[in-house]
Amino acid sequence: MASEPTTPTHIPQVYRSRGIVTRGLMYLILTLGAIVAVFPFIWMLLTASKTYGEHSQRKFWPVGLTAAPYANRPATQTIIVPLHSPTNDWHGAASSFSPHVEGSIPVQAVTPFVEELLRAKETSVPFNVLILALDSTNDEVQNYDRFILTMGSRIVEQFSTRIDLKEWGGPNYEGSARGRWGPHFEVIEAHPDHLVIKQGWNMLYMFFGNYFSAWKQANFAQYTRNSIITTTLTIAGVVITGTLAAYAFARMNFPAKGLLFTAYLATYMIPWTVVMIPNYLIIIALEDFFKQTFGIPNAWYNNWTALTIPFMVNTFTVFLLRQFFAQIPDDLFDAALIDGCGHLRFLTQIVLPMSKAPLMSVVIFNGIWAWNSLQWPLIVTSTPNWRPITVGLSGFITEAGAETQLIMAGSVITTIPILVLYFFTQKQFTEGIATTGLKG
Amino acid sequence: MSTIDQSMTHTSRHGLFAGYRGRRIREALQAYLFLFPGTLLLIVFNLLPVGYALYISMHKWRIQKGHFLAFENYLKALGEPIDVVWVVGGMGLLAAAWMVWRSITAGTSSWGFLLRAAAVLMLLFGGLALIVGFPNMLENGDDDLFKSLLTTFFYSLGTVPLQIVLSFLLANILFQNIRGKTMWRILYFLPYVTVAVASAAVWRTIFDPSRGVINTLLSLAGVAEGNLPKWVFEARGVNLLIGEWLGIEIPTWAAGPSLALVVIILYNIWTYVGYNTVIYLAGLGNVPTEMYEAARIDGASQWELLRHITIPLVSPTTYFLLMMGILGTFRAFNHIYVITTGYTLGFPQGTTMTTSILIFKHFWEGHRFGYASALAFILTGVMLSLTWVQNRLSEGRVFYG
Repeated sequence: MASEPTTPTHIPQVYRSRGIVTRGLMYLILTLGAIVAVFPFIWMLLTASKTYGEHSQRKFWPVGLTAAPYANRPATQTIIVPLHSPTNDWHGAASSFSPHVEGSIPVQAVTPFVEELLRAKETSVPFNVLILALDSTNDEVQNYDRFILTMGSRIVEQFSTRIDLKEWGGPNYEGSARGRWGPHFEVIEAHPDHLVIKQGWNMLYMFFGNYFSAWKQANFAQYTRNSIITTTLTIAGVVITGTLAAYAFARMNFPAKGLLFTAYLATYMIPWTVVMIPNYLIIIALEDFFKQTFGIPNAWYNNWTALTIPFMVNTFTVFLLRQFFAQIPDDLFDAALIDGCGHLRFLTQIVLPMSKAPLMSVVIFNGIWAWNSLQWPLIVTSTPNWRPITVGLSGFITEAGAETQLIMAGSVITTIPILVLYFFTQKQFTEGIATTGLKG
Repeated sequence: MSTIDQSMTHTSRHGLFAGYRGRRIREALQAYLFLFPGTLLLIVFNLLPVGYALYISMHKWRIQKGHFLAFENYLKALGEPIDVVWVVGGMGLLAAAWMVWRSITAGTSSWGFLLRAAAVLMLLFGGLALIVGFPNMLENGDDDLFKSLLTTFFYSLGTVPLQIVLSFLLANILFQNIRGKTMWRILYFLPYVTVAVASAAVWRTIFDPSRGVINTLLSLAGVAEGNLPKWVFEARGVNLLIGEWLGIEIPTWAAGPSLALVVIILYNIWTYVGYNTVIYLAGLGNVPTEMYEAARIDGASQWELLRHITIPLVSPTTYFLLMMGILGTFRAFNHIYVITTGYTLGFPQGTTMTTSILIFKHFWEGHRFGYASALAFILTGVMLSLTWVQNRLSEGRVFYG
C-alpha cells in the first residue's frame, strides 16, 4: 500500500488522503462489496422478468427487458367469433371433457417476437386460435369456466385459461414465452352463439406477466393484506404499551419500580426458543377457552390475535423510549403541572410530539420484525385466512417448484413494501441501528 | 436507577403533607395503570411461559400432556446422570479455576500461592472430569443433538469471524475521505433490510446447481458440467470436496461442514456484513481524533495506528458484534428453513440441522413438546455458558474508553 501521510489537513479526519493507488484500491474494494451486496437483488429482478424457458436456458438478460417484444405491435381489433358444435377441427387436441361449443379466433398479426417463435415452429400468420372447448357449467356463456385455446392447425401450445368478461385472456400468456408476447383476448360481449372478442396487446402482462401470475397463483393479495394488517396492529400495540410503560418508568414514582424494571430487563434475556412451545400451548388454551365460554371458534388460532397480541409489547422499545423520555427536562413537566396538566395529557400532548425520532425508530424496527416473522405464523396458522406474506412465499416456493421466475416475482412482491419503507427512512434507519445497536 | 431511589426517599420524607401524599398515591395508581397492558402481556407471553416450558420439559408431552418424567427428557438428550455430573462439574471447575486465577492477579495476597495451587488443581480435576464425562455423554446422549450442536458450531465459526473482519475492513474504508458515503451505506445495508424469506429464496436460486448464476459462471469459466458443485444438495463436507479437488485424501472426521451449510453461511455473511459495518462506523466515530493526531506526531505508521489505536478502541463494538453474531447463529431459523424448504428439515442428510432447527423438528414435526422444551433449555444453557466464557475472555481485552 502506497500511502503518503504528508498532506497537512485541519479537517477532523482519521486518516489523511492517501496516494492514488491506495484510494483506487479502496474504491475497488467498496465497489466489489457493493456488487456482492446488490447482485442478488439484480438477479431477483432479472429472473422475475424472465420466462420459464429463458431461466432454464440460463439466459442472463430476459428478452422482456429489451424492446423486441414491444416493437411494431399490430393494431387492436374487435373480432366476432362464431361458436358451433364441436364436430370439426379438433386437430388432435386432447379433449378430456365434453365441450359444449367451440369457435376460432383469427389472428392476423403478432409481435415480431412471436413471429420468430412461430417460424421456429413452422407456422406463420395468419393463423387461427381455436377455442377447443368452452366448458360452461351453466347454459349461459357468461358462466363458463374454461376456455382452451390453441394456435394454428398444429398445436403450438395448449393451455387452459380462464377468461372472464372483464379480464384479459390469451393463448397461454400465463405460462410461456409465446403467449406472453402474443395477442391477448378480451371477451367484450358474450352471446350463446357467438363471442365478441377484442384482440390487443396487453403491455402490462408483457412486462409484469410473472408478477401477475405469482400474485394470482399464490393468493398474494390475501397474504399482503394479512401482513399489512398484522404488522400495523403489532406496531400500534408496541407503541401504545411501550410509550405508557416507558413514561411510567421515566417520569413517575411508584412502589416496586426497581423490581418491575428488573422484571422488564429479565424478559429481554429470555430466548424465543424456550417460550415458543409454551406460547403455542397458551394460544391453543385460549382458543379452547374462547370456543367453550363464548362460542367463538378461531378466536386465537388462525386469527390475527395470535399473530399480533403476543408481540404487542417489546422490552427493547420500552428501554429505548424510557431513555429518551428521561432526558426531557423536569421544568417542562412542572410548568405543565401548574397549568393543571395530568400525566396522560403531558404524555400525549407534550412528550409524544417531542419524541418523533425515537418513535420513528420504534415503528421502523418493529415493522420490519413483524413483517419478517415466519416461524410463529407457521405455527399458529393453518389456512391462508391470516397467514402473512412470508409464510405465503415460503409455501409458494414449494408450490411453484421449478418455475423460478414466479418465485422471484413473489420475492419481489414480498420485499417491496419493506424496501420502500427503507428508502424513505434510510437515515433514521442506519442512525437508529448505530445508536442503539439492535439485535441481529 | 440511582436517581429513582433518591427521588423515592425524597418523597417519603415529605409524605406528611396530605395533599401531596394524595397526589403520590394517585400517581402510583396511574403508573400501575400505565404499566398494566405491557406488563400483562409480558407476564402472559414471556415470564409465565418460561416456567411453563420447564413444566412441559419435565413431562412426556406429545400434543397432550403425558405423565411426569422429572429430568428424563434432559437425560435422554444428555446421557446418564453421572455423565452430566462429570461434564457440568468439570466445566464448573474450569470456570472456578479461571475465577480464582483472576482474583490472584487482581489483588496479590499472602494466600497467593495456596490459591494458585487450588486453581491448578481445579483446572486439573475439571479437565479430567471433562475427559471422563464427555465421551460417555456423547455415547449415551442424543446423537442428533450433538450433531446439531456441531453443525451450529461450524455455522458460527464459519460465519462470525469472516463477517466481523469484512465489516471492519469496509467500515474503515468508509470512515475515510470517501465520496458518496450515504450511497455505499444504503447499498451495504440492503441485504439486512430485505425480508429474510425473500432473500433466502433468491439465495436458493443463485446457488441452484443446474440453473443458478453461480454454476453458470463456473461453467463459463471452464468447469466441466459434471464437476459443478451441487451446493444446497451437497451433503459431503467442504474439506472433503476441496481435498478431492486438490487430489488429497481427507479423513472423514475432518470433513467439516457440508457444502449446503456453506451456502447458508455465505447467506448469513451477505446479510449481516452491512449491519455490522454500520455499527462499526458508529464505533469508529467514537474514537477521539486527537489520539490519531498524537500518534501520528510520534511517527506512528498507518498500520500501527490501526493496530494500537483503532482495534483496541473499537473492541467494545467488536465484542458486541461477536456476541450478537454467535447468539444470532444459535437462534437462526428463517433463512435455513427457507433455503432448505421443500425438502426435509436439515436437508441434505441432516447436515444443515442446527440445534434451533432440530428443536423445531421435534416440536412441529415430531410433536414431542416435552423433549423439544428440554432441548430448548439445553440450547439456552449452551448459549449462556458461551456468553459467560466470552465475557471472561474479553476481560482486559475489551477497552471501554
